[in-house]
Amino acid sequence: MKLEDIARELGLTELTPEVTGNRQAEIERGYASDLLSDVLAHAPEGSVLVTLQVHLNVIAVASHAELAAVIFAGDRRPDDDMRAKAIAEGISLLVSPADTFDIVGRLYAMGVKGNHA
Amino acid sequence: MEHLAYDIQSGDFGGAGAASRDLKQHLKRIGAESGAVRRAMIAAYEAEMNVVIHTEGGRLEATVSDGQLDVDVVDRGPGIPDVPQAMREGFSTASSEARALGFGAGMGLPNIERNSDRLRVTSAVGDGTRVSFSIGLRPEAADQGARPSSLGIAAELCRDCRHCLAACPTAAVRVREAQPSVLHHLCVDCTCCIAACDPGALTLLDAPDGLAPGADGVLAVPPALLAGFGDHAVDTVLEELRGLGFAEVVSVHPYEDQLRRSVLDLAAAAALPTPIISPVCPAVVSLIELKFPSLVPHLAPLASPWEALQRDFGERDVTYVVSCPSQRTALLAQQPTAQRRTVTPRLVRAAVLPRLAARRRVAQGTPAPQPQAAGADDLLVVTGVSHVLAVLEQIEDGRLTGVASVEPFICDGGCFGSPLLGEDAYVAAWRWAAAAGAAPGEARSYERARPYRPRPGIRLDPDMAVAIRKLAELDAETKALPGKDCGVCGAPTCAALAEDIVMGRAVRALCPYITPQEGSAS
Repeated sequence: MKLEDIARELGLTELTPEVTGNRQAEIERGYASDLLSDVLAHAPEGSVLVTLQVHLNVIAVASHAELAAVIFAGDRRPDDDMRAKAIAEGISLLVSPADTFDIVGRLYAMGVKGNHA
Repeated sequence: MEHLAYDIQSGDFGGAGAASRDLKQHLKRIGAESGAVRRAMIAAYEAEMNVVIHTEGGRLEATVSDGQLDVDVVDRGPGIPDVPQAMREGFSTASSEARALGFGAGMGLPNIERNSDRLRVTSAVGDGTRVSFSIGLRPEAADQGARPSSLGIAAELCRDCRHCLAACPTAAVRVREAQPSVLHHLCVDCTCCIAACDPGALTLLDAPDGLAPGADGVLAVPPALLAGFGDHAVDTVLEELRGLGFAEVVSVHPYEDQLRRSVLDLAAAAALPTPIISPVCPAVVSLIELKFPSLVPHLAPLASPWEALQRDFGERDVTYVVSCPSQRTALLAQQPTAQRRTVTPRLVRAAVLPRLAARRRVAQGTPAPQPQAAGADDLLVVTGVSHVLAVLEQIEDGRLTGVASVEPFICDGGCFGSPLLGEDAYVAAWRWAAAAGAAPGEARSYERARPYRPRPGIRLDPDMAVAIRKLAELDAETKALPGKDCGVCGAPTCAALAEDIVMGRAVRALCPYITPQEGSAS
């Protein structure tokens, strides 16, 4: 499932239209967590992260764990600093008004799986 | 041995990650294996965060020595009363601020342990904590072999314009005292410097004896040559080429078509990591071996069109009219004696043009252009060095998905766009497409004779320990230079001059912005 298809199906708002390279990225795995150490330890490379955390460290973690995109749940929006950092690191940021549970459920139904599926 | 040090501020959540990011760049430069780099980043980042969250501040020091990274993170307190308890997953004493940011879940030290090969934590309450870990870096094995080169240099023609410096995609060209030279360990035998060199000081090597057809001689030509004589029809050109004294003229295009079919078959069989990269352009193959070693498994293990043609005709007396240095180098690697028999298109054009001019022009209707022979939906054709580099980077980053196979050409417009041919790429390609069928041919594809091998050209030294020492010198030299990339020193960039200095190929005094006093100061 391509990232742009996920964004369309889930009605996500793209916050980093400057990052164009990821739109065609095939997203096969996902991870949901608000613990960044947990993300570092377990999020699969190239996956999409669903989280409530909205601050600069999320970008550092996403970069170190080599994630493709981050979806912020509950309509939480990053500031311009964070957006700029994400663009520099080539990480797509998206936002949804839905909560984590609903976002993950719909991702799963679309075929995006976790580590153990 | 290289030593790096970074100060970490207490409570600086925004700045955390800077040390690990810088460390990552260093590890990549010395050729550390990519999995080891990822582990090192996770461990170093967690260690940095621990200092930010729990301590009064501290320092991260990293030592890169032969094949190993040692990181030492020392803080100024408060210290850990029970270290084994702190090592247990889930145990945490983090502040609510840290927890609110998603840290302090009691995973930091366990994460470091999981991602390092050895971890040692010592602590004194009231004094501080030292976290030391080590990670093996296992350099990717590669040889440092010399390679043949097909780039010819006519220094007397050089006008010292230095356009070639900026044109080279691997920073391999130097111009010093109006003498161009090429660092062969970085050269990928493409045509970029040739295209940039108006006076022709940089060109393709020609056969020493020129065009010397034997009794049973075969002339092997690229389609661009057949379609490169204005409105002279392809079969007319073929006839006049034979008239030069060759028993047979063969075109390489059936081998190009066959290679494309074989690559698409491999893609359909999902035999290799996607996207599969066609080895159609030996310069791109060389570029991948030099700058994108992680993409070597994507290369279809097939011979390039010229190599395949050579397998079929190599027993006979073949003269190869190659359109670029990389094709010549590939032929020489398979059969060193081909050196006497590879000629430039210019030589052949000079021989055949008078014959064509002497013919009475026969008016012809303009044939309708046909679509490119074997284009396919799941094949991405990329031409031109900047586009090729961009696409290879996308593949390396895992961002080029949904593409089954890629056919990359260094020259703009594919082989039709070589600067060594006499016709514009689009005109020649149009004429060739219009005449499709005029030069039929049979071909097959072959397995590669020699396996692909990453080239260690960008490594500073085959010995990792020496490479690390040189990397430290390189950093110091780069900082001492102005960063203007003006090219006056004869190197394309300040970074390239710094590397020349470290490798003993140049002196710092070549830089016009450094005064002699500064130059001799260190």
